[in-house]
Amino acid sequence: MSSEERGTEREPPSPHLWVRGVHKRFGGVHALNGVDFEVACGEVMALVGDNGAGKSTLMKVLAGAHLADAGEFWMDGKQVTINSPHDATDLGIQVVYQDLALCENLSVSANLSLGAEPVKSGWGFLPRFLRPIDELDMESKANSAIDSLEVRTLHSMRALVGTLSGGQRQAIAIARAVGAKSSVVMLDEPTAALGVAQTRQVLGVVQRLRETGHAVVYISHNMRDIFEISDRICVLRHGAHVGTWRTNETKPDEIVIAMTHGIDEKVN
Amino acid sequence: MSFVHRLREMRRNRFGAFAPVLLALAVIWAYFGLAVPLYEHWTNPDSESVRFIFLSARNIYNLFMQSAVIATLAVGITIVLLLGDIDLSAAATAGVCAALLGVLVLAGVPGWVACLMVMFVGIVMGAAQGMLVAYVGIPSFVVTLAGLLGYQGLMQKILPTGNLNVGDPFVRSIARILIPDLWGLAIAGLAVVVMVVVVLRRQAQRREKNLETDSAFAVFPQVALFGVLIFAVVFTLNSYRSLPLMILLLVALTFLVGWVTTSTPFGRAIFAVGGNPESARRVGIDVKRIRVAAFGIVGLLAAIGGIFGASRFGSVSYTAFAGGSLLLESIGAAVIGGTSLFGGRGSVWNAILGALVIGSLGNGLDLSGASAADKLMFSGGILILAVAIDALSRAETGGTGR
Repeated sequence: MSSEERGTEREPPSPHLWVRGVHKRFGGVHALNGVDFEVACGEVMALVGDNGAGKSTLMKVLAGAHLADAGEFWMDGKQVTINSPHDATDLGIQVVYQDLALCENLSVSANLSLGAEPVKSGWGFLPRFLRPIDELDMESKANSAIDSLEVRTLHSMRALVGTLSGGQRQAIAIARAVGAKSSVVMLDEPTAALGVAQTRQVLGVVQRLRETGHAVVYISHNMRDIFEISDRICVLRHGAHVGTWRTNETKPDEIVIAMTHGIDEKVN
Repeated sequence: MSFVHRLREMRRNRFGAFAPVLLALAVIWAYFGLAVPLYEHWTNPDSESVRFIFLSARNIYNLFMQSAVIATLAVGITIVLLLGDIDLSAAATAGVCAALLGVLVLAGVPGWVACLMVMFVGIVMGAAQGMLVAYVGIPSFVVTLAGLLGYQGLMQKILPTGNLNVGDPFVRSIARILIPDLWGLAIAGLAVVVMVVVVLRRQAQRREKNLETDSAFAVFPQVALFGVLIFAVVFTLNSYRSLPLMILLLVALTFLVGWVTTSTPFGRAIFAVGGNPESARRVGIDVKRIRVAAFGIVGLLAAIGGIFGASRFGSVSYTAFAGGSLLLESIGAAVIGGTSLFGGRGSVWNAILGALVIGSLGNGLDLSGASAADKLMFSGGILILAVAIDALSRAETGGTGR
């Protein structure tokens, strides 16, 4: 297991987001027990582990949905605090949850701008929430957001999300996260419910995120996807960090063993 | 392509949402307007000519006026239906507001002041229920059921005799004032011109910004249909009396509410909350405030409905509002118009058409001498049909390709 790296023995490109010693308890359960984690810009970091390993808890801590009991958070070398979803958003951390949370009754462009619709100028006498939405501006923005992710199967920004495929929806959810001036995008099982072609499409979008310099955290159970898309793989087990591997220096078997048994202490 | 599938396809575009209710209206008008008179003519040897009573200008005028109160309430109810909530108390709210209006003008308060006061009271009555729904977390069905009972009682308190004449000239004038024929035509012409200009300008802007454009085949038949309908209505009303101010007010009100719901961030938030409250919450929409505001709007429109009713009847009676069939007719109108009870889909314009369907049904059955029992059973059947269409056309949006 020479490829294994622990702590800071072998620094990858300097981490954009860097956390140390994160603890989180839910009553008697130690969901996160001193977890270290990092992800760099332009990197896809897969976060894997068996059920209950702490992947989702870590993601929610980073998103500000859970408050960590202890731990240090650093971004670009500066220590930060994440006490609320608002903090996370301000830091540029965005999550695409598994349920996507899209409004199926609204169009693609309406979903992408939801809560921050551009309004027409010249209506200043009305409160902002009663000014007319600039639909054309909204659609242009949606077009460029979707184009930047190179989603080619989505032709109409006016199509209702309810009429789209699972892969297209995932792409829209990612586009929404990216649109909110994010630097860290966390994807929770983005391909879990998708077929082969849809999965390809989503992996293409993740690829584009990496190319555009985002730090991507990719949570998945699917080894094939992970080995195809990720640069490094971080394994959690029982709420602790088992290790982080470079994807091109390891094999699925090794990751699966790390997930299920941890690392044989003798090797270390 | 199966019938259900075709239905779903049709409901996806904005115009398609109008189709079922327009079709229902056409069927009802054809039945009462053509089939019934012809049948009576042929089966009655004494009859010398066919008497098209239902489709006479006079009856259509009455039909519009009869449906106006239902429509006003239905427009409001549509807003809470869009949220996925329901308001059972709108008719009772209208009743309380109308009764209050009657008492106020009787006490010497100027008509317009009294109208503004009851509109404010309506907003408070609605918003209070909205707060119970949003902040206490009681299902809207229960809150507004309690509201229905409580407001009915309140109306009886205000009107111990159950009836009050409203003679105030300002209040009466709303239903009495007629727009001169030429003015009516001018307004209709203006509406059509504005619509054409808006459509053309939007197309030009879309081309300029390199956005997908609507096909001319889809847009212009809609504009043409709209133009024909609006002129047909004005000509018909003119040939009996004229365009009543109340109808114009109703259309203006519907336009305003429709614009707010479809074109502003507030309206978008209503649709978002109705479609996926969790999604709305995550993007920072204050779901609770949206709920309270929506119930406030229903209260306002219910109050306006109450004013319209008092103006048209020249009196306020318990049976015309709270104790009558207005509640079910107005909810029925919203639902028949195609507004989904599941939230997130619908339009206030459809509610107007739905109100016409309900109004036509009642009017037509009255003219054919049907009993109250027949009317109730017919209305029930139409309502079930409308909700069945809603349920069938909704089934597919759960997700394709998943």
